[in-house]
Amino acid sequence: MRTDELIAALAADAPPVSPGGLRGRLAAASLVAAAAVAALVLIWLGMRPDIHIAMRQAAFWIKAGYALALAACGFSLTLRMGRPGARPGPALALAPAVFAALAGLAAAELLLMPESLRAHAVMGASWRVCPLLIMLISAPVFAAAIWALRGMAPTRLRLAGASAGLLAGGVGASVYGLHCQEMSPAFVTVWYSLGVVSCAVIGALLGPRLLRW
Amino acid sequence: MSDEARLKALMLRGLAGDAKAHAALLSAMSGYLRGYFARRLGAGAADVEDLVQDTLLGIHLKRASYDPALPFTPWAYALARYKLLDHFRRAGVRKTAPLEDAGELFAVENPEEGAVRRDVGKLLSILPKKQRRLVEDVKLTGLSMEEAATRADMSVTAVKVSVHRGMKAMARKVRDEDG
Repeated sequence: MRTDELIAALAADAPPVSPGGLRGRLAAASLVAAAAVAALVLIWLGMRPDIHIAMRQAAFWIKAGYALALAACGFSLTLRMGRPGARPGPALALAPAVFAALAGLAAAELLLMPESLRAHAVMGASWRVCPLLIMLISAPVFAAAIWALRGMAPTRLRLAGASAGLLAGGVGASVYGLHCQEMSPAFVTVWYSLGVVSCAVIGALLGPRLLRW
Repeated sequence: MSDEARLKALMLRGLAGDAKAHAALLSAMSGYLRGYFARRLGAGAADVEDLVQDTLLGIHLKRASYDPALPFTPWAYALARYKLLDHFRRAGVRKTAPLEDAGELFAVENPEEGAVRRDVGKLLSILPKKQRRLVEDVKLTGLSMEEAATRADMSVTAVKVSVHRGMKAMARKVRDEDG
């Protein structure tokens, strides 16, 4: 086919494009997947029994805020990485800053508590399963984010995959927080972050395979 | 009007459903893309036109990924570079294209516009990469033919011929534009 024929054929099929379409698609995909995994987690693992008490404590909201902030950074990065030539933007610096803030809080908490309690504050009762469960819960959200990204035009596939992983990990950690009874900032800093970062690493590894177009 | 302003205006009208503007954009882009890929793959390489078409198709299919709040040329450049790297990967060549300024895609002036800035850098950009480097080495850096040959891993005769042809091509370019 000659190039001018191709151009004529393409121009003949050029319906208007809605400007906010991609953002809406990524938001809708993430929310649907988040609602689905939340329902699954509540059925399978169950809501933490002390949720009413927990919701009155700052530590509960710090944990939720941390996970949601990482999810928001992942969302912003994913959207930008779906656009050729766009810079990663503020979220690239914001995600580590959010982590540093929580880590600082955790360090302060550990310093102030008696030495004998520190090990428990870090390891909690569920450190063995926490990162794995977060990764498992994140998987459907990751699939949804990848689906949305495939409708965009990512050109840096590792970074795009990692962004989708961060988004999924953040959502997964938020949902897991409904079940998990650990509250210490030190526990969240280590084990929640490990789960979320693992999602981002897996995303970076899978990105070039899943996102090529 | 600058490339950016002109192309962005066409892109925005195309996104709003103006088929004529969309065709004009693709047509203008095909010229830039041909130059860009030819400079990367060597002029006359068989894959240049395939890549041009593949990238035009990409521009068309992925136009929703253009954010009207951002400039158009970096978007188009990133897309073209992605297609070039993808081409290298398919061809099994371990090759990278440096991440350059978007201007790289628009380096050769659109012939229809005629206004060509004739500085040395622009003239050199009409030459394929390898030849351009030889001309730079010999004529600008001041290496001897022998040194340039060692650097490029070519025979001295081949370097002489290549530099000579490069100079002739550039001279022809200047003449064409003056006439």
